Amino acid sequence: MLKTRGYLRIGRLLGICAGLLIHPASHAEEASWIDDHLVIKGFGTLGLARSDNDAAEYVRDLSQPRGLTTNWSSKVDSLLGLQANLKLGEQTEGVLQLISRYRYDSSYRPEISWAFLRHDFTPDFQMRVGRLGTEFYMLADSRLIGYANLTVRPPPDFYGPLIFSYFDGIDATASMGIGNDLLRAKLFLGKSPETTPFYGPITWDLDGSRLFGGHLDYFTGPWQFRLAHAEVRFSSHEAPLNALINQFIVTDPFLSTLIPVPINLTTLIPELSMVRKTSKFDSFGVVYDKGPLQVQMMLGRIRHESESYEDSRAGFITAAYRVGKFTPYIGYSKAKSKASNISTIPATAWGPLLVQIVSSELTPSTHMDQHTYTFGARWDFRQNWALKVQYDNVRGSQRSNILFRGTDNQWNGRLKVLSVSLDFAF
Amino acid sequence: MRAVIRLIFLITASLLGPSLNVARAEVVVVVDAASGIERLTQDQVINIYLGRHRKLPTGIAALPVDLPPLDKLRAEFYRKLVDKDLSEINAYWARLYFSGKTTPPMQANSTAEVLRHVTGKAGGIAYLDKSQIDPRMRIVYSFPQ
Repeated sequence: MLKTRGYLRIGRLLGICAGLLIHPASHAEEASWIDDHLVIKGFGTLGLARSDNDAAEYVRDLSQPRGLTTNWSSKVDSLLGLQANLKLGEQTEGVLQLISRYRYDSSYRPEISWAFLRHDFTPDFQMRVGRLGTEFYMLADSRLIGYANLTVRPPPDFYGPLIFSYFDGIDATASMGIGNDLLRAKLFLGKSPETTPFYGPITWDLDGSRLFGGHLDYFTGPWQFRLAHAEVRFSSHEAPLNALINQFIVTDPFLSTLIPVPINLTTLIPELSMVRKTSKFDSFGVVYDKGPLQVQMMLGRIRHESESYEDSRAGFITAAYRVGKFTPYIGYSKAKSKASNISTIPATAWGPLLVQIVSSELTPSTHMDQHTYTFGARWDFRQNWALKVQYDNVRGSQRSNILFRGTDNQWNGRLKVLSVSLDFAF
Repeated sequence: MRAVIRLIFLITASLLGPSLNVARAEVVVVVDAASGIERLTQDQVINIYLGRHRKLPTGIAALPVDLPPLDKLRAEFYRKLVDKDLSEINAYWARLYFSGKTTPPMQANSTAEVLRHVTGKAGGIAYLDKSQIDPRMRIVYSFPQ
């Protein structure tokens, strides 16, 4: 509660500062100008979930360092967001959004998820500058807003690999009416300020990675189609592969006698390095939304220039039908990756052994081969409140592990998740 | 036990609620009579009210206004326009608003404010009951009966 009040005060303070800059007037006039132009709203989720398998922890996406076990936990889905909108004219608006949720360092420290100025140059063309949410896939920039989404969380098989939530940069959107239809194009460009969990307590600094992408939307009647491409060029911060491989060798009494640690893996096998390497995300999405019936379908592909991550394909379909205030839904999602191929063999006696460790232990840790059946219902029991109950049945191979945390040798690729969430907007 | 009965009652009431709500009003979409706009299609009204593309046929930006949240005509308008409940419309706007894309239609506090908006502002567009229309306004869309 104290925190909430703090945010409101910060939002108001920022609003007043902006107001003073733009509208120098007497103090009394100022207060009413702010009241007319500043709007503070928020959203949140109180979620509880548990799985039936302790051999792997189920996460919402790879930005979370730990996940669900057989104990009920609120960390995977719960969050609170506050947003201040300051209207600076008919066509211009400033937006600041703070979100507190379970993050890469296991804290709930609030982050600035959005902070930008938007200007609508014409009804057909809009630009935003500042901190913006990433929209690699359709609906990805609103994936934390439980109240706006039908399911408890976006299908992890599809959205799970997204480690970028926001970036600092610019985007532009152009719209064009074609008869009764609508064509829309968006481009974005910027740099990541984020950090992501990598393995156990080890994190990977993504700061400075360059994000670029865009999409084309076509709206016709109840249909929306989207073709999207996004790419990331990683910065000079290497993924912490060295820490991982050295730890692996040291803890193995046999390997540690053969390979002189510490080794620099990304120098010995440069194709594993992430530095200045590109990862590409392509997707195609369809939404059908007519009256009580809603269907979402998406197909996606991720290609990594670095061999340290396996390339993957994923897809999902979710269908829902509203009956009064209840909206039952069903979903199916699937993700599969292809083994990486290491062709460099370091010219040392233990070079071939190292390649074997990498190919059998390191790159397979990014493997995915699983599908999920989802059943649930959303109950809009009162204005701006929704209660959801969801059951997920994940069925994968025992080698399917990147979308989980802390998999152990008991892992058989199968788990079930039961979730309850209370979503609200105010 | 009483709590269970109340829950069952609430669930039943919420399922039957919409069908018991008999509305006799005829909702129409209007603009200023001097705006130069003759007609809009249902898709154009959807694009304007759902914030997809707020442009009038004259080229200027459309400025839609909503009736107060509890006004029965508001629920009827969205029911007829896209066959959605107001809770679905709220969820729709939560997505666009909290991803900074666009803002919902201006929120009026009364029907009088809606009338002032549509007759006083370039690009103003509103939905009202047909009985509330006066010569300062022009009906640009009526729902098929």
